[in-house]
Amino acid sequence: MNTTTPPVLKLEGIRISFGPIAAVKGVSLQIERGEIVGLIGENGAGKSTLLKILTGIYQPDSGTIEVNGTPVRLRGPRDAIAAGVGVVHQEQSLFSNLSVAENIEMNTPPGAGGVSRLGLYRWRRLNRDAAATLEKIGSKLDPRTRVGDLSFVDRQMVEIARAIHMDPSRNTTPLVILDEPTSLLERKETAILEREMRKLRDVGAVIFVSHRLDEVLRVCDRVVVMRHGELIADRRTEEVTEDDLFHLMVGREMHSPDRRHRPIAADSRPAVEVSGLTRKGKFRDVSFAVHPGRCTVIVGTSGSGREALSRALFGAETFDSGSLTFGGRPAAGWTIAKATNAGVGYVPAERKVEGMVGGLPAAQNLTLTHPGPAAAGPVILPAKRDQVARTWFDALDVRPNDISLELERFSGGNQQKVVLAKWLNSPDLRVLVLDHPLRGLDPGAAETVNEQIRRARDEGTAVVLLADTLEEALEMGDEVVVMRDGVVTGHFDVATDDPSTLDLLERML
Amino acid sequence: MNTVTPPKERAAAPETAPASRRSLLKRPRQLWAVTGPLVIFVVMLAIVAGLTPTFLGSNGLTFIAAAAAPILLLALGQALVLNIGSIDLSNAAIAVLGAILLAFLLAPLAAAAPLLVLLIVTLFGAVNGLLVAYAQVPSFALTLGTLGIFQAAALVLSGSTTVYVSANGEAISALYQSGILGIPMTFWIGVVLAIVLWAGLRFTRLGLAMTAIGNNESGAIFSAVRNRRVKVVVFALSGFTAGLASIAIIAQSGSASATGAGGDLLLPAITAAILGGTSISGGVANPINVIFGALTVALVPIATTAIGVDAQAQNLVYGLVIIVVVALTMARTRGAVVK
Amino acid sequence: MVNATMQTENVDTTAIRQHELQTVRRSFIRGIAEPLGLIAALVALIIVFSLLNPRFATLENLRNVLDQASVPLIVGVGATLVILLGSIDLSVEGVMGASGMAWILMSANSRGGADLGVWAWIGAIAIGMALGFASGALFTRLKVPSFIVTLGMWYVGLGIATVMYGSGIVPMLTDEAVGGWASSATLGLPNSFWLAAVVVVLGVLTLRYTRLGRVTYAIGDNETIAKGNGVPVARVKTVVFVIAASLSGLAGIIATMKLGAGSATVGSGVLFVVIPAVVIGGTSLGGGKGGVLRTVLGVLLLTVLTNGLILAGVSPSWQSGVSGAILVAAIIVAAWSQRDRLRVAK
Repeated sequence: MNTTTPPVLKLEGIRISFGPIAAVKGVSLQIERGEIVGLIGENGAGKSTLLKILTGIYQPDSGTIEVNGTPVRLRGPRDAIAAGVGVVHQEQSLFSNLSVAENIEMNTPPGAGGVSRLGLYRWRRLNRDAAATLEKIGSKLDPRTRVGDLSFVDRQMVEIARAIHMDPSRNTTPLVILDEPTSLLERKETAILEREMRKLRDVGAVIFVSHRLDEVLRVCDRVVVMRHGELIADRRTEEVTEDDLFHLMVGREMHSPDRRHRPIAADSRPAVEVSGLTRKGKFRDVSFAVHPGRCTVIVGTSGSGREALSRALFGAETFDSGSLTFGGRPAAGWTIAKATNAGVGYVPAERKVEGMVGGLPAAQNLTLTHPGPAAAGPVILPAKRDQVARTWFDALDVRPNDISLELERFSGGNQQKVVLAKWLNSPDLRVLVLDHPLRGLDPGAAETVNEQIRRARDEGTAVVLLADTLEEALEMGDEVVVMRDGVVTGHFDVATDDPSTLDLLERML
Repeated sequence: MNTVTPPKERAAAPETAPASRRSLLKRPRQLWAVTGPLVIFVVMLAIVAGLTPTFLGSNGLTFIAAAAAPILLLALGQALVLNIGSIDLSNAAIAVLGAILLAFLLAPLAAAAPLLVLLIVTLFGAVNGLLVAYAQVPSFALTLGTLGIFQAAALVLSGSTTVYVSANGEAISALYQSGILGIPMTFWIGVVLAIVLWAGLRFTRLGLAMTAIGNNESGAIFSAVRNRRVKVVVFALSGFTAGLASIAIIAQSGSASATGAGGDLLLPAITAAILGGTSISGGVANPINVIFGALTVALVPIATTAIGVDAQAQNLVYGLVIIVVVALTMARTRGAVVK
Repeated sequence: MVNATMQTENVDTTAIRQHELQTVRRSFIRGIAEPLGLIAALVALIIVFSLLNPRFATLENLRNVLDQASVPLIVGVGATLVILLGSIDLSVEGVMGASGMAWILMSANSRGGADLGVWAWIGAIAIGMALGFASGALFTRLKVPSFIVTLGMWYVGLGIATVMYGSGIVPMLTDEAVGGWASSATLGLPNSFWLAAVVVVLGVLTLRYTRLGRVTYAIGDNETIAKGNGVPVARVKTVVFVIAASLSGLAGIIATMKLGAGSATVGSGVLFVVIPAVVIGGTSLGGGKGGVLRTVLGVLLLTVLTNGLILAGVSPSWQSGVSGAILVAAIIVAAWSQRDRLRVAK
């Protein structure tokens, strides 16, 4: 490697906090031209925050960023693109109605490289330039193809080409960030993508973020591990094994802090029973059962299919085969309405969009689904409604203590308390499904929410929880189901099997 | 350890803010939301009375209320549709078609005719609702299409001429000629309907579901609100109020034609709904304020004549009022995609 | 750099190349196949109507149809651009009224006044541009949905036309040559059609060869991504609304010319041809998909249908009903495959 060229990327003491929580605590990292560096870490380790700093979405509180030897300040995505930092996201950001060439060149300023003359596009020039960029990563895609007609892996190639495509007059080395580019791919498609990725060495440098450790070891030259916002390890791939990486990611291995044994009564029937449940492209052949008064936590990375599965329980997504039984009754033609009638509640991850009706007052939100005494048949009783709402506000310590305030004006934690109370207000809540209920909550609110989940469980509700972290999974769950790529790869009874965070992680990745 | 997500909650109230201080901040906006439409009407009335001193003395209010009646009835339905975040461009055409049907049917069916017409136009509205809810097409495009269909039906049915009520017209026209406090019954029907709808929106689960859908349809769906059923009901109600407008048209003129009274009420009715504080993006509606919205709209032609502009130019005023009021009252979210 | 990466280097790539070739071919075939249905429908209509009435398949009637199609064609080019953005322009009839009235009052007419000749055209189209700019600016800066801004602008346009009309006598065109220009033929086809053809060609070129055109597609496909790529979304949208309203203004002049007199409602019924024509042409109301040539097919289909029905003895009263029913059917067919119970349509 030529030692006279400056590193493609040099980070010094990058630090960022959100309120009292430090998300990235002084990260320093250097990446040379021709290197592929794997970045791994558990959910919440600070990876995605670091990536957002590199792409200009967040500005660090302190620290310096140098790209190709020049210090830069990235105030927005445009700055990042101009500096030569391109990202390939997990969710693709291509225009499916435009051609491959147009997508690749969309970032370059109009007129650069003679692509347009007198305001008119020169299609041949455009296509030739795009083909040249595709050639660099070994793709022979026809630049005239409409992106919407491409397969997922081909679109991923277009994304990569766009990330390295830049104004030819500028002499910089591009840095490509691949943010879990393979998590939605089949294994054999992954092989193709891996091969193309290695070609990027000749062009620039790559940061590869992935949950698949075997892939990281195959593709990368170096791997860095983040934990709790810090960069705790930087190893050459030939020096480490998958096992080493697991240990580095998890840190101190943790078991359930509290091995209460809540035995299933002999005559207990499961409140919800999932058997061979399959939805094409999302999850397949998933089976487990949750008994009343117990909590099952589903863990998995994005792309594991657990989100779709949880929505299927609530009737928000359909399934293709297998069966779903609630209290012994099969869920046929399952819809949200039927699920709600059967005593299923659902706290979605997208709180503002799906969890609540922000423009309505808190009291109305709380009694929207299960009014209980707040309504007599179709008629709402405002005095009773306010009484119900006030009781919940006091029980959950919702602040400000104003039930007539629009829910969108509360803080995230207090909103989540109301969303939860909306389901807890049901006289007969049999199953409660929660998708990342603690996301974005301050510690106080998170504790209140957890407390209420436990209380509902102790009162006989079957809880299905998608937890943010493995520690949370072991703390809350009586059982833990591990999913990877749409299938169940592990099923633990916390009290008898006593799984550790490492056990879970090994089955997730 | 939680996933660290930056605090991006917009305008979250400080958790420790004393309740009194916050509600003081809230008050001027709420006060305007409640009394604004009335204030606008009174100001407008004062201007008209100032420019035309004889106006109030010469049964001016009776005249305004009579002119406002069909607008109000249509606007009430439109306000319900706007409240769920949709729009019904076909309701004025339904009213015209209903009026023609009523003119034909009064002689043979007598008292059953208005009921039958109300039933038919409610079904028309329900069809709009079914298509919007189940085919999931944008309501403005769908009701633009059905507007054309209803228009053609009115033209064909009436043979492009004016249809006169040949018998049994007395009871209907009494709605226009008789009144309480000098205000015709057609207007009072609108007032009663407005109060009923106001109570319905506030005090029934169905009404709450409508407002919830208009506020955030996804949130409503995940709160087990039967969004599609509610949409059908709302569009059916819009058809129903259009039917009441048909009765008001017949009561007033004793005849109906595809190109006559009613067809040009689409924009005045939307204007009345918006002036009555209804949000174009959904989730906010107060039927009682729509009464003042309709009265203000009925004043527009009189006001334009008073300031010496051809009454025909009232279209300009309606258009500008819609744009200005919507622009002033839109809740603009930064970065949101508006189509 | 040596590491354990060689195992996947020898993956056979022939299959991938073949797959790539196939996708190219498939997209090419689909690009042709989609309008084929419309062309087939148009041909079928022509055959049916020719059998029903011998006067249908005559050169004179062809001229007639092309003359009738000219106004919706001109408006349709602008409407296509706006709908490709994912927005809608309901103001066309109002803008036509305002521009048409301005044009006749500035040309030689029975009320007297100045005959400004070419400047009358420029002035009239400038009014259209101003209304379009107002729509675009209100839409993009104040974030008022386009359907409500342009609904208001429709009536503002009508109002401006009425105010200009005032209370005098009906302004009639006095110059025979000007009045007859639109419908008189050059090379066997009416001038109005040639003008529409020029507009269509410019529209096609704009969409295919200019940054504005391509970015219009990009915004319609995904506005958020377009913003992330640094596309000046608000400016592009405003320009598109100005173009659309200018074309409506031009169409207002042509319609007024054909009518021979000034009328605020000269555009009456045009919206009902144009929106269904754009939608049945296959331009999606959601934006990003479609094109001007498809709209041309849609306009021709609807014009032939109307013309044929009238020649077949059907009352003109049915016209708006036929267009309305076609619009309803077209949007439902277009939306049917995307139905999902969690989808939100307003």
